[in-house]
Amino acid sequence: MGTSAAHNPSLASDREAASRQAAAPAHAAVGPRHYGRYVYLAINIAILIFLLAPIAVVVVFALNPTPFIQFPPVGVSLRWFEKFFASRDFMHALGFSLEVALFTTVSATILGASAALALARGNLPGARLIVVVMLSPLMLPAILTGLALFQTYVLLDVGRPTWGLVAGHTLVTLPYVVRTTLAVLHNFDLRLEEAARNLGASPARTFFEVTLPLIKPGVLAGAIFAFIVSFDQFPVSLFLVSPGNETLPVTLFNYLKFDLDGTIGAASVVSIVLAFLVVIGLDRTVGLRSYVKL
Amino acid sequence: MMKALGSTRLSRRRFLAAGASLAIGAIAAPHVARADDPVLRITGWGGKWGDVMKAEIGPAFESEFKCKLQTDSAFPYLPKLQASSRSAPIYDVLHTNSNEQWAAAEMGLVEPKVDPKLVPNLADVYPYAVSDKIVGVSIFTSAIGLGMRTDKGYGSITSWKELWDAKYNGVRGGYVIPVNSLGQAFLMMCGTLFGKGQTDLDAAYTALEKLKPIKIVDFTGAMEKMLLSGEVGLCVIHDSGIYRYDGQNQPTDFIAPSEGVLSLEQVLTITPGSKVKELANAYVNYMLRPEVQKRLAETVWYSPANRKVKLDAKYDAKLLTTPEKVSKLIQVDWKWYNERKDEIDQRVNRIFRA
Amino acid sequence: MSASIEIAGVSKIYDGGVRAVDAVAMDIRQGEFFSLLGPSGCGKTTTLRIIAGFETPSSGAIRVDGADITHVPAHKRDMGMVFQNYALFPHRTVAENVAFGLRMRGHDKASIATKVKAALAMVELSGLEDRRPAQLSGGQQQRVALARAIVIAPRVLLCDEPLGALDKKLRQQMQFELKQLQKKLGLTLVFVTHDQEEALAMSDRIAVMNGGRVEQVGTPAEIYNQPTTRFVADFIGDTNIFRGERTTTGAGAPALDVGKGLILALPPSADAQGAGALSVALRPEKIRLSPRGDAAGGAAGTCAHGVVENTNFLGGAVLYRITLEGAHRILVQQPNAGTSHLFIPGNGVTLDWTPADLVVLED
Repeated sequence: MGTSAAHNPSLASDREAASRQAAAPAHAAVGPRHYGRYVYLAINIAILIFLLAPIAVVVVFALNPTPFIQFPPVGVSLRWFEKFFASRDFMHALGFSLEVALFTTVSATILGASAALALARGNLPGARLIVVVMLSPLMLPAILTGLALFQTYVLLDVGRPTWGLVAGHTLVTLPYVVRTTLAVLHNFDLRLEEAARNLGASPARTFFEVTLPLIKPGVLAGAIFAFIVSFDQFPVSLFLVSPGNETLPVTLFNYLKFDLDGTIGAASVVSIVLAFLVVIGLDRTVGLRSYVKL
Repeated sequence: MMKALGSTRLSRRRFLAAGASLAIGAIAAPHVARADDPVLRITGWGGKWGDVMKAEIGPAFESEFKCKLQTDSAFPYLPKLQASSRSAPIYDVLHTNSNEQWAAAEMGLVEPKVDPKLVPNLADVYPYAVSDKIVGVSIFTSAIGLGMRTDKGYGSITSWKELWDAKYNGVRGGYVIPVNSLGQAFLMMCGTLFGKGQTDLDAAYTALEKLKPIKIVDFTGAMEKMLLSGEVGLCVIHDSGIYRYDGQNQPTDFIAPSEGVLSLEQVLTITPGSKVKELANAYVNYMLRPEVQKRLAETVWYSPANRKVKLDAKYDAKLLTTPEKVSKLIQVDWKWYNERKDEIDQRVNRIFRA
Repeated sequence: MSASIEIAGVSKIYDGGVRAVDAVAMDIRQGEFFSLLGPSGCGKTTTLRIIAGFETPSSGAIRVDGADITHVPAHKRDMGMVFQNYALFPHRTVAENVAFGLRMRGHDKASIATKVKAALAMVELSGLEDRRPAQLSGGQQQRVALARAIVIAPRVLLCDEPLGALDKKLRQQMQFELKQLQKKLGLTLVFVTHDQEEALAMSDRIAVMNGGRVEQVGTPAEIYNQPTTRFVADFIGDTNIFRGERTTTGAGAPALDVGKGLILALPPSADAQGAGALSVALRPEKIRLSPRGDAAGGAAGTCAHGVVENTNFLGGAVLYRITLEGAHRILVQQPNAGTSHLFIPGNGVTLDWTPADLVVLED
């Protein structure tokens, strides 16, 4: 449009952009709203305390030198952490839990994201019903899911293989990925894919160049849910773990029956830290942040 | 994603092994025995018991009998056994407490008796270990009595009835009866103490009602901690739950009341569908060997069932190692109890919820 | 290079039997600015999507330069498209958006960089290469969409209401620039719009669509001056439409009796032998208005008397709504010839017209 001398298009556009910025909501923290803000703040603090208090108790338990919870604590000691890290059983369980959580995350993410895409795009008959079925593991008590899978494996005479445990975990984590992916697909502008097709991208390239990057925040959120739910999973694992290959929550539960000491607290602290690191790590490597400002 | 995990100890080899197991649908066995070795699938406790079994007693059995032991130490055993097929059960030998064994036997999941011809060591056990109150064989027992703090000036306690004294209000300890064997055994004891005998449930319920206020827990381990922390001053507990802190100078002691102690048996049974019956019997026999009994008894403070076991003096003094001491054991009729379990659960829940 | 498009008897019938596009046939010439004009739901966008390859026609064929592309997938059609609301990739920068089509075509990095730079310069967006679409104004986004579509040197440029989201002033400016760009590049451009003024202003030819069918194809002047159907006459601009029975004037010329005492002389081109009902259109600006009694009294069928009901001042012209003596209502537009020449409501007026300005419509 280089030939237009009469008007200055960029001027006009800039004006438009400027008026847009001006329209951004101004912060109105004056007058009667002031009082409301304190209430808002107080409620948020209360919720935070409610959420964090159990973690605080666990940390106190983990650092307390006595083998029982004592209030006020009589000192700080790392003996339970030492015991936890020195225990072959716990270390094996921790490694195994991470392994299972990792495989679960990969399979739940691939299956869940694919399922969500098929549901959102496939024009499938009865898609709504399929969504309900997909989410049903969330509604069924997980202990029943575990028992049902266990019986299935027994009937099939496959024993209790690691893939069976991963399958069980995948079953209960899949709904998270389906949900979060469906949520982003719901707001997805199909014209973006058409634009890519129009510009010469094959269906596969369109998927990897446009669709996937745009639904990534949802898929990733689902993957993080899947990892944490699998890593902390107890009811499904209860029946599906095999001798010698027990996940950390099951090992903790069994340990609890014989020794109730700070090792449980130490293990919990390590779990929390690990889960936190995984979230941070996913955020950094796969990059949640760059897609938040869409 | 691996990068993100940072501090994990997932080695490349383990990772590949798990990957391979996923791919071919097999368990990546951590220590692979020879492929043609028979496998004996058993259940077993965790804690110190599990440590000793894993480190010494299990491997010794494996090398002596050229087999592989596969121990499931993840609860719950009974539902898993129940869910597996009778002809191909998930365990060959079931090790659990007597009440659960009775439930298993009633469902036909385990054989009610062990054959003395196949388990020669059976000839050396105390009568309680193979009594009509036991399915299979009891290899150890604990004594359920009272645990007390010695630093509170409670004086000497000789009777179960002491627990009802008002001075223990606030520091009395008991169990969630529906889920805890000690609690269930104690309920039967209440019938004996205040009524016509174990099966006098009405007397027991009345007695339980009078125990309030009482701190109740579901795990026995939790009771140990409450006693150690002083939150509880007098409670129902098994002797091993006190003695295991031996040498730590804890101000706690076990009391065997004059009315008798309740037995908390460690029972082994064999599943009818086991494909390795011979090995299963050999395992039961092995667990009754004096040297195995001694090692485990001195590890976890369980009283051995084999009469011929000679424990070190320290253990001998406290555990039930003579016919005389064993005669103080009161066995619970679990068959009778299990038949009424639902009704009892409902009733005690009402008592303790109020 | 730019191509011609032949749309041969294309229909699109959706599940449930809705005919979104019904036997549409038209030829779009090479280098032509061709508009698909019609109200929403008329099938213009579906037709465009069929050309782009996003929809498969139920019957008929699309040919580009004579080659049948009906079943060629969208990504192999080599057509640029500017979408309504632009459909810019939000996760990519301006430069990456523009480079997308080149990248899909496997151009090397250096040539991509050069072409992107040139395309952005052409739409006057140099310097904004690293912005995200969300950081641009609507007009700027529109330019990026245009640059992204033309940088691949498409055979055809398809535009789906590309200016619909802009405010009026910016819109007029963009109309002008888009037209210039199209001429400069010699693009074959298919332009979908519901705005008749926009279509008239920009197009070489227009296809007016209604209910999935093409009503008329023609140049803006043809469409405006000689609408062939009642729909076209009504949709394009203001018009007076009359329906009546054929008759003759006292002089024996063909005429139309539209009732309530009004007789309209038909243009000589009208078939004198015909009989029965007929519709005609008369544009408001083709009617002359004079104070009542001034006129010499035109021939029968070319004049009428009435009273000004209200006026609508348009600036360069004035639109009058007039009630005729027979109670017909009619719109008349007169150039603004100065305040002293304006009529006010209540004024008695005489209207006259030339029979040749009456357009006979198909029903």
